[in-house]
Amino acid sequence: MHDFLAVILTTDFAFSVLRVTTPILFAALGALISNRAGIVNIGLEGIMLTSALLGVLVSAYTGSAWLGLLGAALGGLLIAGLLAFFTLQFKTHLILGGIAINAFASGGTIFVLYMLTGDKGTSSSLASKVLPSVEIPLIEDIPVVGPILSGHHVLTYLSIVAAVAVFVLLKKTPLGLQIRAVGENLHAAESVGVKVKRIQYTALLLSGLFASLGGAYMSMGYLSLFTRNMTAGRGWIALAAESMGRSTTIGTTITSFLFGFAEALSNALQLLKIPAELISTVPYVATILGLVFYSVSMTRKANKLLKKQKGPQA
Amino acid sequence: MKKVLVLLASLTLVLSACSNSGNNGNNGSSPTASISSGGSSAAANASPNAAASGDKLRVVLLIPGNLGDKSFLDSANRGIELVKSELGAETKVIEMGTDLTKYQPIYEDIANQDWDLIISGNSTASEVFHAVASEHPDKKFIDFDTDFAEVPENVYAMNYKVNDASFLAGAVAALATTSGLPGTNPDKKIGFLGGLDVPGINAFLVGYIEGAKYIDPEIKVVTSYAGDFTNPAKGKELSLVQYNAGADVIFGAAGGTGLGIFDAAKEQKKYAVGVDSDQAKLFLDTDAEKANLIITSSMKNIDQSILRAVKNFQDGTLKFGQRETLGFAEGGTGIAENEIYGKLMNADMQAKINDIKSKLQSGEIKVDDANSMETAEVEKIRNSVKP
Repeated sequence: MHDFLAVILTTDFAFSVLRVTTPILFAALGALISNRAGIVNIGLEGIMLTSALLGVLVSAYTGSAWLGLLGAALGGLLIAGLLAFFTLQFKTHLILGGIAINAFASGGTIFVLYMLTGDKGTSSSLASKVLPSVEIPLIEDIPVVGPILSGHHVLTYLSIVAAVAVFVLLKKTPLGLQIRAVGENLHAAESVGVKVKRIQYTALLLSGLFASLGGAYMSMGYLSLFTRNMTAGRGWIALAAESMGRSTTIGTTITSFLFGFAEALSNALQLLKIPAELISTVPYVATILGLVFYSVSMTRKANKLLKKQKGPQA
Repeated sequence: MKKVLVLLASLTLVLSACSNSGNNGNNGSSPTASISSGGSSAAANASPNAAASGDKLRVVLLIPGNLGDKSFLDSANRGIELVKSELGAETKVIEMGTDLTKYQPIYEDIANQDWDLIISGNSTASEVFHAVASEHPDKKFIDFDTDFAEVPENVYAMNYKVNDASFLAGAVAALATTSGLPGTNPDKKIGFLGGLDVPGINAFLVGYIEGAKYIDPEIKVVTSYAGDFTNPAKGKELSLVQYNAGADVIFGAAGGTGLGIFDAAKEQKKYAVGVDSDQAKLFLDTDAEKANLIITSSMKNIDQSILRAVKNFQDGTLKFGQRETLGFAEGGTGIAENEIYGKLMNADMQAKINDIKSKLQSGEIKVDDANSMETAEVEKIRNSVKP
C-alpha cells in the first residue's frame, strides 16, 4: 500500500493525468456538441487521425508549428463538413457516414504518407514541428501545484479553455439554446423558426474542430511524429466519456478526466509487482465503477422524487 | 453539379473500401522490374555458383502485415531487395495486410504460380503457410521467422537468437546507466517496455535482464507492457513513468508503441536502446537530438538472413525440412555499432561488450530463452530485478 501511494502521490503522476486526458477531452467535447444537436458523430477517431497527419505535414513543409495547427484544424473542419454534407444534404445514415470517415482516415492517412515520404509506418523522415509547452508565471512558483499545473503543452490548456467555452456556449448563448432545442426535438425547433440544418452543420463543424485539436495534440506535442493509427481508439473512448457524462459539459469533462486518471494509473502501477494483465483492466474497471455509482445515485434520486410525489396524497 | 457530387461520394466509398481491405494487391515494391544489364555482374560477384542456372531466379515475398513498421517487416523487404540487386533475381513483394483470414487464399494463389522460392514468415502466419507448403510438395518455401520447430519437407525455416542480442542490449544499458553519461543518475536502474506479456516478447526481456545482471548483479530492471503494438503515445507515457522512477536507459520490444520511448528520452534527456533494426537511423536526418540518445539497437537481421538463405538455395546447400536458429555467427543478430554507439560508449565499455560477444559466440555464456519457459519462471525472473 505504501508503494501504491508513493506512485500516486507524486507531482509527476498528477501532471501525467492532465497530459493523458487532453486528447480524450477534446474529442469528448466534439462528441458532446454534435450529440446535443442530435447527431452522433462516430467519425471522431478518423478526424483526429487525419488532423494528426495534416499537422505533421503542414508543419514540416511550412516550417511553422502554428501553421501546422491551422492545417490540422482546417482538415478537421473539412472532414466534418463532408460528413455533414452527406448526412444532412443527402441523408446518408449517420453511422455509415462515420464508419466511412474512419475507414477512409485509417487507409487514407497511410496512402498520403506513402505518397509523400515513401514510408508506410511513420513520418520520422519529415522534420515536423511541435507546439510549445507553456510555463505559467506565478503559478509555476507555487510548491506542489506549480509542477502539476504549469509546463503543460499549449493545447492542454486550450482543452480546459474549450471545456469552459462549450459550457458557456451551450448554457448562455442563443446558438447553444438552438443546438439544444434541435437535439431535443427537431420538429418542435423547426416549427418555431430555428434553421435546423444550419444549426446541425454548425454543431458538426465545431465537433470536427475539437476533434482536430485532439489529433494535432497527438502528433505535435504529445508525440513529435505521426504513426499508423496513432490515435489508438481515443476517439471511441471520447464517445464513451460523453455518454457516461450524460451529455452535459461538466459530466463529460469529469468523465474525460476519470478516463485520463485511470489510464495514467494503469501506466504508473506497472512499477509495482502487480501482474500487467490486471493493471491493464484498470481503465475498464473504473468505467464500470463509475457507471454503477452513477446509476445508484440516479435511482436514489428517482426514488426520493417518487416518495415526495406520493407524500402529500398519502 | 449533382453528378459531380455522386462521383465524389462513390470515390469516397471506393477509397474507404480499399483502405479497409488491406493491401493485398501488388502495391509493394515494383513487381517484375527487369534487371538484365547491371544485375548479371552483381550476381557473378555475389555467388559464383549462381551461373549454373541459366534462367533468372524467381522469388516472391509475402509480408504478413503492412510495410512501414520500421523494423521487422521492413527488414524482410530489404532482404528481398538485396536478393534482387545482389543475386539478380526477379522478385515481387505482396503485403497481405492484417486480416489473417486472407493469408490462406493468397498463399494458395502464389503456390499455384511459377515461383522458384516463396518466402514468408512470422509465427502468426506460419501455421497456414506450412499447411499450404505441404500441399505443394513440388514448390520450395522459406519461413523467415517462426516459433514452429517442426516444418514440412519443402520448407526451410529460421528463427533468431534474440535472447543473445538482448543480452548485449542489457549489458550496454547496465554499463550506460552507471557510466556518468550526461543526464544519468547513480541509481543502478534500467527499464524495459514490452508490447505484450507473451513468450516472443519475454525472450527479449529475459536476455536483457541476464545481460544487465552479467555486468552488475545488483541492477534493477523496471518492466512495463503496453498491451498494444501501435500506440506510441502509451509507449511514451510508460517510458516517462520509468524515467521518472530513476531508469536512465530503456529498451523496448513493442513495435510502433516503442517509438514513444524515443520521444520520452528526448523530453527527459535520457537514453534508449532500439530494437530489430538500427533505429537511430530513423531520426538521424530529421531529429539528431533524438537519434543521439539511442545508444544502440539490438538487431534481428532478417534482410541478411533472407539473402543468406537464397544464396544457399542457389548453391544447393539450403537445408529444407528444418529450422535453423541464427545468431551472431550467421549474421542473423547483432547490435548496431554506429557513430552514436562509438560516442556514448567509451573504449573500456566497448571492450567489455566485445568480450561478451565472443563469449556468446563460443558458448561460454548461455542465455536462457523465454520461448521455452513456463510463465511462472519468467515472472520470477522479472520480479527478482524489480526495484
